[in-house]
Amino acid sequence: MAICQFFLQGRCRFGDRCWNEHPGARGAGGGRQQPQQQLSGNNRRGWNTTSQRYSNVIQPSSFSKSTPWGGSRDQEKPSFGSFNSGASTNRNKGFGLSENRFASLSPEEQKDEKKLLEGIVKDMEVWESSGQWIFSVYSPVKKKPNISGFIDISPEELKLEYHNFLTSNNLQSYLNSVQCLINQWRNRVNELKSLNISTKVALCIEKVLEHYSSSTLLFAHFFFFQFSDVKNGVNQAAPAFGFGSSQAATFVSPGFPVKNSSSDNAQNFSFKINSGFATASSGSPAVLGSSPAFGAAASASSAISTSAPAFGFGKPEITSAASFSFKSPADSSFGSPGFSGLPTSLATGPVSTPVAPAFGGGDSVAGFGSPGSHSHTAFSKPSNDTFGNSSIPTSFSAPSSIIAPDNVLFTPRDKLTVQELEQFQSKKFTLGK
Amino acid sequence: MSLFGTTSGFGTSGTSMFGSTTTDNHNPMKDIEVTSSPDDSIGCLSFSPPTLPGNFLIAGSWANDVRCWEVQDSGQTIPKAQQMHTGPVLDVCWSDDGSKVFTASCDKTAKMWDLSSNQAIQIAQHDAPVKTIHWIKAPNYSCVMTGSWDKTLKFWDTRSSNPMMVLQLPERCYCADVIYPMAVVATAERGLIVYQLENQPSEFRRIESPLKHQHRCVAIFKDKQNKPTGFALGSIEGRVAIHYINPPNPAKDNFTFKCHRSNGTNTSAPQDIYAVNGIAFHPVHGTLATVGSDGRFSFWDKDARTKLKTSEQLDQPISACCFNHNGNIFAYASSYDWSKVRTPGPALYDPRRQSRALGSEGLGLSCDSSQGAQVSLGRSPSPACNRKLQGFLQWFWGFSTAFGQNPEHRKHSASGHYGLLCCWVKKHRQAGGCTL
Repeated sequence: MAICQFFLQGRCRFGDRCWNEHPGARGAGGGRQQPQQQLSGNNRRGWNTTSQRYSNVIQPSSFSKSTPWGGSRDQEKPSFGSFNSGASTNRNKGFGLSENRFASLSPEEQKDEKKLLEGIVKDMEVWESSGQWIFSVYSPVKKKPNISGFIDISPEELKLEYHNFLTSNNLQSYLNSVQCLINQWRNRVNELKSLNISTKVALCIEKVLEHYSSSTLLFAHFFFFQFSDVKNGVNQAAPAFGFGSSQAATFVSPGFPVKNSSSDNAQNFSFKINSGFATASSGSPAVLGSSPAFGAAASASSAISTSAPAFGFGKPEITSAASFSFKSPADSSFGSPGFSGLPTSLATGPVSTPVAPAFGGGDSVAGFGSPGSHSHTAFSKPSNDTFGNSSIPTSFSAPSSIIAPDNVLFTPRDKLTVQELEQFQSKKFTLGK
Repeated sequence: MSLFGTTSGFGTSGTSMFGSTTTDNHNPMKDIEVTSSPDDSIGCLSFSPPTLPGNFLIAGSWANDVRCWEVQDSGQTIPKAQQMHTGPVLDVCWSDDGSKVFTASCDKTAKMWDLSSNQAIQIAQHDAPVKTIHWIKAPNYSCVMTGSWDKTLKFWDTRSSNPMMVLQLPERCYCADVIYPMAVVATAERGLIVYQLENQPSEFRRIESPLKHQHRCVAIFKDKQNKPTGFALGSIEGRVAIHYINPPNPAKDNFTFKCHRSNGTNTSAPQDIYAVNGIAFHPVHGTLATVGSDGRFSFWDKDARTKLKTSEQLDQPISACCFNHNGNIFAYASSYDWSKVRTPGPALYDPRRQSRALGSEGLGLSCDSSQGAQVSLGRSPSPACNRKLQGFLQWFWGFSTAFGQNPEHRKHSASGHYGLLCCWVKKHRQAGGCTL
């Protein structure tokens, strides 16, 4: 059956009666053919439209329109806004798309997602302008995980740090570190406010966004094709992503849940910053794979292999970076003392480069210079500013699975069939057409 | 008719009440100030339990000390005793018989202070600062529960140096509350766990946080049968969530409300959002009080979902609050809570700004001549403390240059009072018009 173009645009007026196929609305059972057809359909559209705003037509949808935080009608005297306990966010699951994340979103879900993203943008704006405490984690809606890039520091902890630094007469370093944290926060907020595709992809991976909407999917593809020239096994990620194997949806497995929960068991402030920062630069493990581009001596496989253990704990990549900063020998003052008990087995130098942008190179104390300040030539990525943060993870969660002995997730390049290789390298999927 | 203080009811302006050249807002509610306040920020307050005749107030401060006052019915406060830790004191609590006070400190220990003998011994040890401490009295056991930033919750029999039990938390413990048989712990990264304490403490449920931002304070409330049934959770984002443990209708019964924001009704204009630093429930009426970084305290009725009263704005954030055992007295601590950390930087050591900031308020710390007759500051820091205080004030000024959005922030941060204020509350009235 022909695919209904209007449904793809979110405005089919026949709905169930429509004679054409409405992919995705009929459930995940559509199988492998579906996502790729979807992709091709969306490809056409996606490349033309820059934004995700599919339609302004209000579909008659049955879910409640209340924003997840229904308390916005708060008035001083009479009543509190009532809190809608997130009923609307569960809709995403109920659409029969549960297994197939690559299917196109139905219009309701697109709206949900749009609302979610708008909510995030609004919250960021409020956060910035309102003078509220900035060292706090944030989650857009109840039941969603915390968005990465924000660390939780309570005022008491900060004050204690101040006291400690006061006794050691090292006030300036305290001020510097706080300033760095503030900058880091501000960058992250700006990133989330601008909400370009790379952050959306990252949010998908964090399971904040429930489904990979087609635009984020597109971007990921675009992204991967860029990597096809990169020498090492990096581009192995693409087949995992693109070929819709049943595990593909889970390929973003290990790194990120760990990241979110890789909280700091900080004894002291300095360590806390670093581990918090580890979550911020969650993309940085990804960059580990790119280290060959920086001419490090280690071979590709070793670079990747170092990334794997780093992946398992959210922190060690910072450890390694702090221990051997690629750019600058002088370590930030946060270097050694805090890293007690962390595996220091990450031996090779190249590991440090991802955090090089984070640690700002030569400046020892102001380690958290603005990310992206260093050129990363190997990556012709569309958005430079999010480099240090979130854009890379998509491609690099797969490398960790390289280490797994039985890797169902992807096949090394030489094992791809000719046909698959051709698909992988071409601009458009033609499988199943 | 005003129950807060002697002269004015609320609603009159709080500025320039002293008639001095500087507008001093440190006690706009004209409440009674406790004498001999600590020299640094006050982190926690606790009133004595009903088993003890009279009212005794314990306050732990960032000056490493714990102080005890007797609060008499006339309103007079008499400093009674003091104990020291080697680090700032983060939490205090009383034992159920009122003979002992437990204090938790950043020096990673908790101490038991026997008031009759004025001796304090260490009863707990953690790997990181101890943030919360509570006394649990169960029919078959009694112990002290300490929550720490080392992500553990430990239960101590005061006679032994090994904990009776250690429970792992997902993240650093930020706040906790205990009303037997229920305990609630809120951790970093928006973690929220409820424990049940019968027989022995065990985790009852992990709850998805109803709030979007960092948890700051939590307080358990009871139902009409005096059983703990839910809790109120405050965050840094000026919002409190009321959450019932087993509500008949969760979607309707649990809710959040915004508080401690400037222009509260007008959500279109950018508003300032302040952290909720403390929540306390009135022991008799079940109404709740919240105190925030904006320097106000508010009383709310969670069943009618209304706000009962908001105080005038103090010039400093309010960092802690507490009701006494019968709800007649509400104590709140006004001191800087580190909330204005937006732009530390070069402003710190600018001497011109420094002198403007200190001005008369700074001196007001040690000499009370500029203040009105009703209040007695009674603060006379020793020279060593004073220097440290001055240093702090210098730093404070630097920090307090706000992001640039709101000049109100600058105004309020100018002074450096660490005052402890008491006010008398005869009754909370419900439903709308407050007679408070």
